[in-house]
Amino acid sequence: MDFEFTDDQLELRDNARRVLASACPPSLVRSVYEGGGGADDLWATLIGLDWPAIGVSEEHGGLGLGFLEAAIVVEELGRVVAPSPFLATVTQLAPMLREAGSPGLLAGIAAGDCTGTLALAEGGAWRTDAVHTTARRTGAGWVLHGEKSHVLDGASADEVAVVARLEGTAGDDGLGVFLAAGDTLSAQPRPVIDPTMPVATVTLEGAEVGGDRVLVEPGEPGAAPAIARALQEATTAMALSTTATCRAIFEATLQYAKDREQFGRPIGSFQALKHRLADMYLAVERASSLAYFAALTIAEDDDRRGVAASMAKAAAGDCQRLVAGDGLQLHGGIGFTWEHDLHFLLKRAKSGDLLFGTAAAHRAQLARMLGLAA
Amino acid sequence: MRLRFDESVEAFRAELLDWLAAHRPSAEEMAADPSISTGHAPDWARRWTRQMFDAGWLVPGWPPELGGRNAGPIETLVYIEELARAKVPRTTNVQGLGIVAPSILDYGSEAQIRDYAMPILRGEKTACLGMSEPGAGSDLAALSTRAVLDGDRFVINGQKVWTSGANYADFCFLFCRTDPDAPKHKGISIVLVDMDTPGITVRPLPEIIRPEHPDLNEVFFADVVVPAENLVGEMNNGWAMANGSLAHERGMVWVSGVMSLEESMDRLRGELPAITAGLTPAERAVAIDRVVELTIDTTAARCLGYRGFAKLAKGGSAPEQALMKLFASEVRQRIALVGAEVQGAAAIEVGAVDMDGHLSVDEPQGTWLEQYFHSFANTISAGASEIQRNIIAERVLGLPRS
Ligand SMILES: Cc1cc2nc3c(=O)[nH]c(=O)nc-3n(C[C@H](O)[C@H](O)[C@H](O)COP(=O)(O)OP(=O)(O)OC[C@H]3O[C@@H](n4cnc5c(N)ncnc54)[C@H](O)[C@@H]3O)c2cc1C
Repeated sequence: MDFEFTDDQLELRDNARRVLASACPPSLVRSVYEGGGGADDLWATLIGLDWPAIGVSEEHGGLGLGFLEAAIVVEELGRVVAPSPFLATVTQLAPMLREAGSPGLLAGIAAGDCTGTLALAEGGAWRTDAVHTTARRTGAGWVLHGEKSHVLDGASADEVAVVARLEGTAGDDGLGVFLAAGDTLSAQPRPVIDPTMPVATVTLEGAEVGGDRVLVEPGEPGAAPAIARALQEATTAMALSTTATCRAIFEATLQYAKDREQFGRPIGSFQALKHRLADMYLAVERASSLAYFAALTIAEDDDRRGVAASMAKAAAGDCQRLVAGDGLQLHGGIGFTWEHDLHFLLKRAKSGDLLFGTAAAHRAQLARMLGLAA
Repeated sequence: MRLRFDESVEAFRAELLDWLAAHRPSAEEMAADPSISTGHAPDWARRWTRQMFDAGWLVPGWPPELGGRNAGPIETLVYIEELARAKVPRTTNVQGLGIVAPSILDYGSEAQIRDYAMPILRGEKTACLGMSEPGAGSDLAALSTRAVLDGDRFVINGQKVWTSGANYADFCFLFCRTDPDAPKHKGISIVLVDMDTPGITVRPLPEIIRPEHPDLNEVFFADVVVPAENLVGEMNNGWAMANGSLAHERGMVWVSGVMSLEESMDRLRGELPAITAGLTPAERAVAIDRVVELTIDTTAARCLGYRGFAKLAKGGSAPEQALMKLFASEVRQRIALVGAEVQGAAAIEVGAVDMDGHLSVDEPQGTWLEQYFHSFANTISAGASEIQRNIIAERVLGLPRS
């Protein structure tokens, strides 16, 4: 039992932090917010450093590092609000490919040749029982009908893994996963509050997918567990990212409380603020601890991974609720301005909570997993 | 990072479990003669502490002559966890074994170790901790009980309060003011005082729950004469020792607190179907949501503990440790509160759940409402939650002092 990173992992974190300090400064985030460019250069830099290869095994052209290493990078990207296809490609599409046992594209992902995402949610629910999109066999291929909501990078990803089900099935039955090329799909980008987490609605009205692009054959016995496992990985990554953003908000707020003076002394000397900062800190550590636990259960393929992923995501949601609110409040007027960088963090934290299931949605999920609710 | 322990640690656990199975006092034996105060050690508890001492299982991290086996921190963590799982306390005199004996071993004279520390380790004596006073609670350094050195003896006058176990303890680890002119942190000394010394009056203070078995006491000192050789460590250095002696096993004991949270949650989840049977679906959904939230808190407490422990075990500093007392005690309180609220009107009935053999502030016992009131023991004592937040803000986060 060991809940601390190894020296190699700590070094990876330091390196990642150093790289991002110059490759992803707040000015880049601002540029993306204000409609300018820069995100592509960042992605090119990350590809140059082999980051997309981190979670991919060596036999598929990756670095052969595990989920903990991917988690470290996800955290660092979350800390700086990086606008990057990393989250959707490496933590959403790649796990689905791996679980489906179709490594074909992994080499492309590792090499940075293609980006991707997972189209699961419908109507804002990231549960397989909420999937209504249907798959119908036509000759050699399949035709998909339905609408996918909140697909991260849905309008820009090269490859989209679409979860659909056989007509007339429900629950875990009849589920399958299909790989659609992004440019064959109708994706409507949604105007969102955080442009570093762009989502799209993907409409599948008779979209055709070739038989060679079936990742998980509908109705296959292992289909639902494979999807669940990929979803656990994506959910845990979103929890890690969101918690890391919260830590950045907390650190910025703590520094501000030490620097800002009113009534002749630093505002951080007022006990009312001290106690709020102590509680923010506790919320961040609570969420981090659970996120690392979830990451460990994935890295070691532990039975508790479903429960741990939902706990981590729920705790990340609780954390941002406190930290985003108090972080803004404790900054006073300056935090309310567009010019100050704080709002990038705040909006990223909110998006991270609301995507892949809110805290309440994951508690409901946990109630089912713990046998407390049907 | 990994989820499992090494094989050598698992071998240690297996050895402990074998030994416990062969030697532990039975639940019936403990319940038949329960400990009724943290200063009170029933016969089974004295025998048991002695047995653990002899077998090197009392404080595994210590050498054999002190009742240990030179175990490392990870083994000690496993040890504390298994004892909690087996529901058998090492001692009923928690402050004696946890704070007083280690402090005497660290700072005391050879005679004090022989006459006071070793008897605690062998289950022969119990101790109480005399720190708080009517005028010195959170501001402990404001204490005013006076010890005046008069030749080869101290003469002590003053009053302590909230002294757990003083009604049964054999001696008191007493914090006194020995230099009233020095700055308040610099004039405090520690003196060992036998509780049967003339001039000591103990008045039990029945508690909010179970007033029939008071653990808290007021202790009055009127011209109490104590040999000067009972001074622990150096004169006027008591404050520094107080901070040192609270650090023993602190990196590991959190796990027994976490286990009692887990035990409470197992109970609450187990009772949930029955106590929510009469609720509407909407009410039940709210109740379940609150129980799930506490399940998350409880898991978080364990993970947070492991994180802090991993840093300590690697020789680093662990800010997580500062959070543990605050977090675990507040989670404990929320569990009991939610238990009572979910249970509804039935929660006002008393005596519905038996208390078991031993008392400790860590022990969730009784009905949910009884547990709720009792849970304030943890959020008030040993640095109230507000003081913990001050400490976190100032010492961990580096915010300026007010
Ligand atoms: C079950 C139990 C067992 C105990 N056992 C022992 C024992 O064995 N030996 C012993 O010596 N003592 C013992 N105590 C005493 C305990 O340590 C004190 O109760 C504790 O230190 C608080 O002191 P107080 O009760 O005087 O409260 P106060 O210090 O008067 O506090 C009252 C309230 O004010 C708040 N407060 C005080 N100062 C500040 C501040 N600076 N900032 C913000 N808020 C503040 C507190 O948090 C609390 O909410 C025990 C207490 C309990 C409840």
